[in-house]
Amino acid sequence: MTSPTTSDAVGEFRRLSNGDPELQAHGKYYSCSFLLDMEHHRFLVRMHKGTVEELVTDPEPLSSYDFAIRADAETWHGFCQEVPPPMCHGIWAATFRRGMRLEGDLLVLMQNLRCVTRQLELLRITGPLGGAGRDTARRDARR
Amino acid sequence: MASGRISPVTGHYVTIDVEDAEYKVFYLENGQGQPLVCQHTAGCHNHQWRGLLEDEQITGRYRVIAYDLARHGKSDPPLNQEWWKHEYRLTADHFTAFVVAFCDALELENPIFMGSSFGGNVALQLALRHPDRFKAVIPVEGADYSPGFYLDWWQHPHANAAQVCASGVWDLMAPQSPDHDRWATWFYYTQGSEAFKGDLYFYSVDHDLRHCLSEIDGERCPVIMLTGEYDYLTTPEDGRRTANAIPGAEFIEMKKIGHFPMSENYPRFAQYLNLALHHIHERTDT
Repeated sequence: MTSPTTSDAVGEFRRLSNGDPELQAHGKYYSCSFLLDMEHHRFLVRMHKGTVEELVTDPEPLSSYDFAIRADAETWHGFCQEVPPPMCHGIWAATFRRGMRLEGDLLVLMQNLRCVTRQLELLRITGPLGGAGRDTARRDARR
Repeated sequence: MASGRISPVTGHYVTIDVEDAEYKVFYLENGQGQPLVCQHTAGCHNHQWRGLLEDEQITGRYRVIAYDLARHGKSDPPLNQEWWKHEYRLTADHFTAFVVAFCDALELENPIFMGSSFGGNVALQLALRHPDRFKAVIPVEGADYSPGFYLDWWQHPHANAAQVCASGVWDLMAPQSPDHDRWATWFYYTQGSEAFKGDLYFYSVDHDLRHCLSEIDGERCPVIMLTGEYDYLTTPEDGRRTANAIPGAEFIEMKKIGHFPMSENYPRFAQYLNLALHHIHERTDT
């Protein structure tokens, strides 16, 4: 696995999401927004009909979204491994055992659970979106 | 003579009475010898045992029987009740009575009982309540107590319950397990959402043996616990703690596998199952 810069990983995550056969097959109604809080950086993902409409690194403080998935950098580091270690291998596992927090409108998360689960597994290919303390480009999206 | 590849596994129905309920229970079976009775996980059905049912290494010595609990798979809700007028909440009393009634109906002598997840928990209940009815129990992914999964999300009317149940248990499986088997398990879970939450009443609420473990006699009825390292609900630590508190019980941690081991990666599970069966054989047949 390569170790891309934060902006490279974000771009790769976007590219993989939009080209993923599962999301294309089942994402017709996958429209929502969520925040991935990885401790050192946050990533706002806006999905529209199964496609990444916008992906913002470290969004402004009052940016809105449907739900947030927050965990410490170590948990996300495990989550983004090609083969994640036990208890870092999914949002349910990490929420039960690693202190991950699911916040906001969880009904939207549940309505889109299949697609969200699949999309987040693409992080196993990209690796962590944000390195700890790494200086990164902001507003990577829209490119 | 049929030319298709017909499995040796056969299906049957048996009608049983459990407390005040009458059930027509569907079960699959294959093999000869020591009865090995298998309980699927909550909200699922007996196809989870498809690998075991066709494992000739096992069926050459064991009569493997995998039933659908009432309200699951091909076992309907009670025949003699207006069940649709009540909320389904499975209790330890009813669950254990069901298993014993099923074994009695098939006239099984000294069966080994194996169950996973809520089946693992009921295996512990059976060892406590009916140590003389079973030769041994194999609680898979079980523990003395397993809170936190009795959730309204499983039946929320504004979400797709089939997908919430199936994807909600997705990361109970290990990332190393084969895609086809994980997706088969996911598929099974799209079929059982109406029973899932009621099953989990037993799993996360009614089942609580934290203060009873020392009353289980693991010498009289051997208890061999198996837990996968990717199980976030009943972790290996939970299984080990539970086994340590039961006199005579054993605990085996299973690597690179999760909460549905027989269904998500049977070849890997079979290695540990054979070990457990060997321990039971040594303790009871020699």
